[in-house]
Amino acid sequence: MAEVKVSPVTLDIVKDSLIAVSNEVFYAFARTSMSPIIYETLDYASGIADVNGKLLTQGNGACGFIGLIAPMIQEIIEKYGKENLHPGDVYLINDPYMGGGTHLSDIGMVMPVFYREELIAFIGNKAHWSDVGGMAAGSFTTDSSDAFQEGLRFSGVKLLDRGEICQPLLETIKSNVRFPETSEGDMWGQIASLRTGYRRIGELCDKYTVEVVKESMKRLLDQGEKIARNRIKELPKGTWEMEEYMDDDGYGNLVKVKVKITITDDEFIADFTGSSPQVASPINTGYSSLCAGVKVIYMSILGPELAVNDGVFEPMRIFAEDGSVLKCHAPAPTSCYFESMIYSSDVVWRALAPVFPEMLGAGHMLSVCSVVLAGTKQGSGEPFLIVEPTGGGWGASDGKDGEVGQFCVGDGETYNVPVEMAENRYGIMVDEYSLHTDGTGAGKYRGGSGAVRSYRAMTDGQLFTASFGRNKFPAWGAAGGKDGSYNYFEFHDADGKVEGPMGITARRVMNKGDVVRMVTCTGGGYGNPLEREPESVAWDVKNEYISLEQAREDYGVIVDPETFEVTGFTEKRRQEAGL
Amino acid sequence: MRVATDIGGTFTDLVAVDDQGKTILTKSHTTPPNFEEGVIRVIEKSGVRPEEIEDFIHGTTTIINALTERKGAKTGLITTKGFRDVLEIARCNRPDLFNMVFAKPRPFIPRYLRREVSERVSYDGKVVTPLAEEDIRAAVEYFKKEQVEAIAVCYINSYANDEHEKRTVELVRRLWPEVFVTSSIEVTKEWREYERTSTVALNSYVMPVASSYIDNLDRRLKEAGCDAKEYIMQSNGGTTTFEQAKQTPINMVESGPVAGVYGSAILGKMIGENNIIAFDVGGTTAKCSLIDNGEVKVTTEYRIERTESYAGYPIMAPVVDIVEIGNGGGSIAWIDEAGSLKVGPQSAGAVPGPVAYGIGGTEPTTTDACLVTGRLSAENFDNQVDMDAVRGAIQEKVGDAFGMDTDEAAMSILRVAEANMYNALKLISVRRGYDPRDFTMVAFGGGGPMHCARLAKELNIRKVIVPIAAPVFSAWGMLMTDVRHDYIQTNIRRMNEVTAEELNGMWTGLLSQAREQFEKENIPEENIVCNYIADMRYMGQEHTVKVNVPPIPWSEETKEEIIRRFHDTHEHFYTFRLPDTPTEIVNLHLVAYGRLTKPELAHIPPQEGPVETARKETRRVYFEEEGWIDTPVYLREKLGSGASLDGPVIVEEAAASTVAAKGQRVTVDVYGNLIIETEVQE
Repeated sequence: MAEVKVSPVTLDIVKDSLIAVSNEVFYAFARTSMSPIIYETLDYASGIADVNGKLLTQGNGACGFIGLIAPMIQEIIEKYGKENLHPGDVYLINDPYMGGGTHLSDIGMVMPVFYREELIAFIGNKAHWSDVGGMAAGSFTTDSSDAFQEGLRFSGVKLLDRGEICQPLLETIKSNVRFPETSEGDMWGQIASLRTGYRRIGELCDKYTVEVVKESMKRLLDQGEKIARNRIKELPKGTWEMEEYMDDDGYGNLVKVKVKITITDDEFIADFTGSSPQVASPINTGYSSLCAGVKVIYMSILGPELAVNDGVFEPMRIFAEDGSVLKCHAPAPTSCYFESMIYSSDVVWRALAPVFPEMLGAGHMLSVCSVVLAGTKQGSGEPFLIVEPTGGGWGASDGKDGEVGQFCVGDGETYNVPVEMAENRYGIMVDEYSLHTDGTGAGKYRGGSGAVRSYRAMTDGQLFTASFGRNKFPAWGAAGGKDGSYNYFEFHDADGKVEGPMGITARRVMNKGDVVRMVTCTGGGYGNPLEREPESVAWDVKNEYISLEQAREDYGVIVDPETFEVTGFTEKRRQEAGL
Repeated sequence: MRVATDIGGTFTDLVAVDDQGKTILTKSHTTPPNFEEGVIRVIEKSGVRPEEIEDFIHGTTTIINALTERKGAKTGLITTKGFRDVLEIARCNRPDLFNMVFAKPRPFIPRYLRREVSERVSYDGKVVTPLAEEDIRAAVEYFKKEQVEAIAVCYINSYANDEHEKRTVELVRRLWPEVFVTSSIEVTKEWREYERTSTVALNSYVMPVASSYIDNLDRRLKEAGCDAKEYIMQSNGGTTTFEQAKQTPINMVESGPVAGVYGSAILGKMIGENNIIAFDVGGTTAKCSLIDNGEVKVTTEYRIERTESYAGYPIMAPVVDIVEIGNGGGSIAWIDEAGSLKVGPQSAGAVPGPVAYGIGGTEPTTTDACLVTGRLSAENFDNQVDMDAVRGAIQEKVGDAFGMDTDEAAMSILRVAEANMYNALKLISVRRGYDPRDFTMVAFGGGGPMHCARLAKELNIRKVIVPIAAPVFSAWGMLMTDVRHDYIQTNIRRMNEVTAEELNGMWTGLLSQAREQFEKENIPEENIVCNYIADMRYMGQEHTVKVNVPPIPWSEETKEEIIRRFHDTHEHFYTFRLPDTPTEIVNLHLVAYGRLTKPELAHIPPQEGPVETARKETRRVYFEEEGWIDTPVYLREKLGSGASLDGPVIVEEAAASTVAAKGQRVTVDVYGNLIIETEVQE
């Protein structure tokens, strides 16, 4: 083939078009989905990879899906061989222990893209289905002890053969999930968005020629790697270690997560050797998700604005021991894999926070605080299923107070379900949705408040499952800031009985009038609280983020309870200022 | 006479049509902070006698400015007990995925000014907890003490039952007649409490500003002797009266830009084109919007200040669906870290402006690239253009980085800028299931005429119109608008359960609201025209698609027809249908127009003699395919109707330049619009 000389400007234009295609594929699916977990929470990702399965561009809703599309594609290439793939094929993959694995609920699809008989790219997506079978409604629970209790597992099987649906497989799926119409709707939405991407890539080839498109894919990856390497060169070099404990292995024991980060001239290495072995409760994660957890923090220090592609990840090396809680074997249960995945983010974050104070602040609410509630709707008696995360407080950072009521790092462009929608669709009434202003997380910059969300059951026999990590260890303060608080939930039953606070439960029965009050933590503070501007302290009191006592005790500022003016300082603060 | 004035960042434009049907165009400087001053001046400058004005239509940036500059009033919020923090929690989302020190939008109303009231309505509109009026009294007392100037009210599920909100506003008005107050349902009855709360909070926040602005303008106009009926342009593409605008000023947030889109639809109707892509390129942005079968599309998912990495603030009021990108004449060309050429979104603005302006700009812009490639002429600038400086900047900042000469570098800037515009145009067309071949492009703004012919050809659009008044087309659009009110009511009903009779009842309720409003505005019954839109979805979905539905009364057969239309619309947008899945109506959306009398446009004189009489010069212009070509340049005002010019050709007017390439043809129609055939069949 003759060497084509193409203007770099043309390559850039095609490159931007590929990113536009990826965005289109992403939003098309979100808007047709049947599951709130997809259309509101955007617990969903899609991406385009080159012919070798290298990620070119990815649309993310949830941060924790970063870089999970390409490994799924690579599994399909390896399993079938490129020569055995055909136009119109779609493969199904949700195996937690394979490339791109998370938990069984996240259904991945991979489609090879052909242009005039030639395989030129792949397109893939991954979405959290409301149910994939298993022991509990919603398929993810906190008490499964192996993968077989968590639903259907697809290790890269053909769903569409040259464009034709594999009917036996579809029927098997529909017979084994709790909401077959929803799942089938989501399945077709997922397929339709892949087909849209396929068509758009073809149109790009029509317009610019397939050679130019392939060349621009190469340029995209080269540029990504070049930027990453340039930026790594400029980072501080060294080795930093950190270890933290997760709340519970299912039997009341702590679970260790340990990391050693090394930054050299051209590499970023995260070594999790020494972390706990895999556990009997479903908080284990596979290797792909561990990598995702690290990539999130890697991106934040390298440049949050950078485009995500496999070029950018070239300098990364990530190690964990086989059979550990961060690189588990089959059939370890994984339905709450995100707990350990996000702990891996947090331990890297905490190790590097003193090194990159401008990019990483104090600790945040950390846990997805996932809620699954199954029951029937009042009046109609129709079944409903809530699967959702809960927002909480974020840590303060140098120059800025923490944010309030935000989802954890593993989420992202993720939306809460509006109260008005929830009440219309589910058998609940929301008694309260407000900030949890416990006033913890004191600092020169204050940690952001968590949230309180209370659900009142409107029918009998509802089943509540939740995993609120960071129940035993508070959001950590940084640079002299104080710790924030803890995530928990508690039941206030109609008969006056109160149960909790607690951080974990599976299928707890709620009858009509019973209330579950879900409370998320306040983030950690940053810097010495005695150095906080007194006017800011007074403002915090006036707005009831902190109490008068906290103003005095933590910040050393005396505030008038009527006028909210600063009337004086404590001895401690005056001494501090004198130093 | 009908007169439209549009306040922009730099200029206040006036467009009017006189008794002979002749169009009057005038520009005058915008006069912040007393914007009404500029309006009076532009009227004086135009020569229009104030007492001759019968209809006065006005577009203003007052509202968006008050919001973005945070210059609204100290505002208090009243909410349902347990929900005062909804405004601060917002939607918990973090668009800036990998930024661990992101800042989410700060609420316009701080926590201490958000008070709770004991009351509750269930999702189906039943009162669960009665309204505690003593809580409202306490809130009002508190707000008085805090000296707030405006109050917003939003209760949970008020879209399903608005009694408590209505009663609250009544009580507040009685207790404190001087304070500005609105409730959420006065702006929208759509569900989603955060978005509705944000909308009403922002509405109350700008009420005092809007009120004093409108009152001042009204007073100045009356003093000048103008006794016209006065209308203000709203974001939905129609107008409303000054009185209503003071009550729901948030409806004016996109007052200016949408008028051009509406104007495109009207222009299309005048010349028999119902499918239009409106394309507007200004100094800092390019905007585009699709008009399907004569209907301007509106959305209620609008947010101010939203970017790819910032959530912004939702305004759940109907806004014409416009896609806007940071690519205009002043957009700066730069090389990113990876070595790729980028254009925009940063703009050189009016100051320091493009290098060509000679007032300190050093970064090459799209305008500079247009000069180097001959699309623009240095003679048409107000200043003496230093071409060496322009070429030097392009060479240094772009050419050297790629080893290109200056001409090539300038062309590359245009290619990247146009690729961005192309992607935006595809976003509103191909990606939403429309085939551009079925559409005509209307191109306006200072830069639209320059880029349109090439982009249209790439999109397979056969015909482009560069309208009369292209550089001030938004004001022209205002001149042609009707009064418009949108009534949106969330009411989630399954199509197989709800009866046609129930639906008719709901529509009738919306219709009577519209009639009542028009009566207040002195619009006669026979001038009222309504469009019916249903927001529908498959059961289980959340997002809806807008389906155009027939006028009432509906029968059971109409319902079947509507379900069919929904399946078709869903397939059109999303490529698939689910024929066995039940369908739901989520919102009823009544678009009510009060038709106003439009000016009749005169025909321009026909072209007499050879077009060469209109020729200004021949200059060398650089085209992507052909390279440098000697290109004839014509003066637009000297061309008569029927004139026909084969590309390559440039047609110049005061603030715009229309470029057509080889193989394209420009003709002038009877109104003076330029019609470009993008691919002439030989």
